[in-house]
Amino acid sequence: MLDIKDLQARIGETEILRGLTLNVKAGEVHAIMGPNGSGKSTLAQVVAGHEDYEVTGGSVQFKGKDLLELAPEERAREGIFLGFQYPVEIPGVNNAYLLKAAVNAKRQHQGLDEIDAFEFLKLAREKMALLEMDPKFLNRGVNEGFSGGEKKRNEILQMAMLEPDLAILDETDSGLDIDALKAVANGVNALRSPDRAIILVTHYQRLLDYIEPDFVHVLSAGRIIRSGDKSLALELEKKGYEWVREAANA
Amino acid sequence: MSEPAFNHEALLQAVRDLPVDSLTASRRDAANLFVARGFPTVRDEDWKYTDLSNVIEISQQSLQVASAPAAIDEDLLRQTQANLDAHWIVIANGKVLEQHSPGTNIPGVQSGSLQKTDLAIDEPLADLNLALLRDGLKLDICAEFAPDKPLGLLFIDTVENAVASTHARVNISLERNANARIVEAHVSSGPAQHYSNCVLHLDLAEGAVCEYLRLQDRATNHSQTARLNVSLKRDSSLHHGSFDLGGRLTRNDLNVAIQGRNATARFNGLYIVADGQHVDNHTKVDHLVGPAISQQEYRGVLSGHCRAVWNGKAIVHKGADGTDATQANHNLLLSDAAEIDAKPELEIDADDVKCAHGTTVGQLDERALFYLRARGISKPDAKRILTRAFAATIVNTSPISEAHEFLGGQVEERLRTIDDGRQS
Repeated sequence: MLDIKDLQARIGETEILRGLTLNVKAGEVHAIMGPNGSGKSTLAQVVAGHEDYEVTGGSVQFKGKDLLELAPEERAREGIFLGFQYPVEIPGVNNAYLLKAAVNAKRQHQGLDEIDAFEFLKLAREKMALLEMDPKFLNRGVNEGFSGGEKKRNEILQMAMLEPDLAILDETDSGLDIDALKAVANGVNALRSPDRAIILVTHYQRLLDYIEPDFVHVLSAGRIIRSGDKSLALELEKKGYEWVREAANA
Repeated sequence: MSEPAFNHEALLQAVRDLPVDSLTASRRDAANLFVARGFPTVRDEDWKYTDLSNVIEISQQSLQVASAPAAIDEDLLRQTQANLDAHWIVIANGKVLEQHSPGTNIPGVQSGSLQKTDLAIDEPLADLNLALLRDGLKLDICAEFAPDKPLGLLFIDTVENAVASTHARVNISLERNANARIVEAHVSSGPAQHYSNCVLHLDLAEGAVCEYLRLQDRATNHSQTARLNVSLKRDSSLHHGSFDLGGRLTRNDLNVAIQGRNATARFNGLYIVADGQHVDNHTKVDHLVGPAISQQEYRGVLSGHCRAVWNGKAIVHKGADGTDATQANHNLLLSDAAEIDAKPELEIDADDVKCAHGTTVGQLDERALFYLRARGISKPDAKRILTRAFAATIVNTSPISEAHEFLGGQVEERLRTIDDGRQS
């Protein structure tokens, strides 16, 4: 589904990704771990199409298409979802309005009619129940005055409504208390399917207790320096990132 | 820049030519005062960014043209009244149109003509207004006033081929514990240039409550200066909303004097300024006593080659302890040729006060743009959504809630014009 080869990217003059290769197939859950500054969030932003990052080499194929040719909105409509580490507050834009606009942008791309208002509400309420979100959040400004946990639940709500082929969740666990973490994990697990891939970008192993990955990759200085199964995450938790770096350099 | 010459003799003659009535002496005094000072110029601190040359030219020419005022644009009148439901009082080309003014005859409102004692405002344009005033209206609103819909003041100016200017003045008093909702609308049409000079006075007696919505949607070849002086007595409360969507040059002066303890003045404004337009909002709040609250937030959306000015002054006078004054002004600049001059001013002469102010000038938030695009929304749509959200904050918090839908529609229409202009 997602095929990243030797990807190099920078922001301004700073090289961040230095030859990253990653292959993600439908049905798989990958965890990308790594110390601060290793390029985890940059990878998520580059795949989503953030224009501050300049891709200087390598390729990214998504469902056989050259992803780097597409604008961020086209990537989203093709089925990529980025769950933001810092969801943006947009006062004056109603949460329901954004959800509906996003769903309809995708439906239009797929040649479908706009979602029926009743159908939309029913679907939104269903997904909100799963995430233990109060339906009144639909009528608030997007993320406006939301707590950290509410913002992250709202990201997962958007993901659940959009049913992406590939979800990249950037530090979705950061700043969550245990109840919010469980709710978010429930939302993500509900979306796991043989047709869908999920990439979890995380600093800590904690999230992986609730969402079990098929693969774990360690990112350091813009490259994947080690890959393994979920036991790698546990080993990292015990030994720290320094251990992998030393092992990689040896 | 030198101002166009204004023929003071022609003004004095025009004043002498007006029909003799109870205001005649006041007009002549005002004309003499005006002649002594003349129009404000950009050398005056309060007029630094607003050049009245065009207004002076229109004033000059309209004194020379002896033609009768044009017939009122009935379509525009009907359309405005259909859009905003109110007990209307129509002031057309500076004269109250009795047949269109049922608002003067509703229970709880006493209407009459302005008297000499109602007129003192020490300001050149107010002097000019009084000197050429044909019909001054006075409205006293009693405590029993409780209509089903707002009281409406509709200022409509129509010109044909002759340049014209209009001078209108209304004093509104809310008696003790009166509660009034008022809509003030300004519309105009016609090919020739026009200048409207409006002076309004709003007095809130003890415990009076007023929601006041002002909407200016004049033709973009017409200019206006408008002054609203407000005085607030003890426990009174004003919620004022101001929308500038049209006009060529628009200058608003909103002066609020807080004269009684526990008074509240809350006023918000939105200006949408497109190519060739100029909108200047000067607000001034005098906190004469405390505790009292004043809160203001103005927002502007600017596009094309245009200019907007926001100058918000709060003066906390000696002894006005317990004052809580906040000012905010936020501007969205959609083009490089748009200019905003934003200036908050605070003068504090009391000890126990809480004052805050903030202004921002900028483009759309890039983070929010990317966030929306990452949800599949196209860049132009994301820009449209964010621009509307920026303006909606003021629409949604403005007074007279039943007008929000119409206001939102007007704002949308203006923004769509801007969108179209940007695409071409």
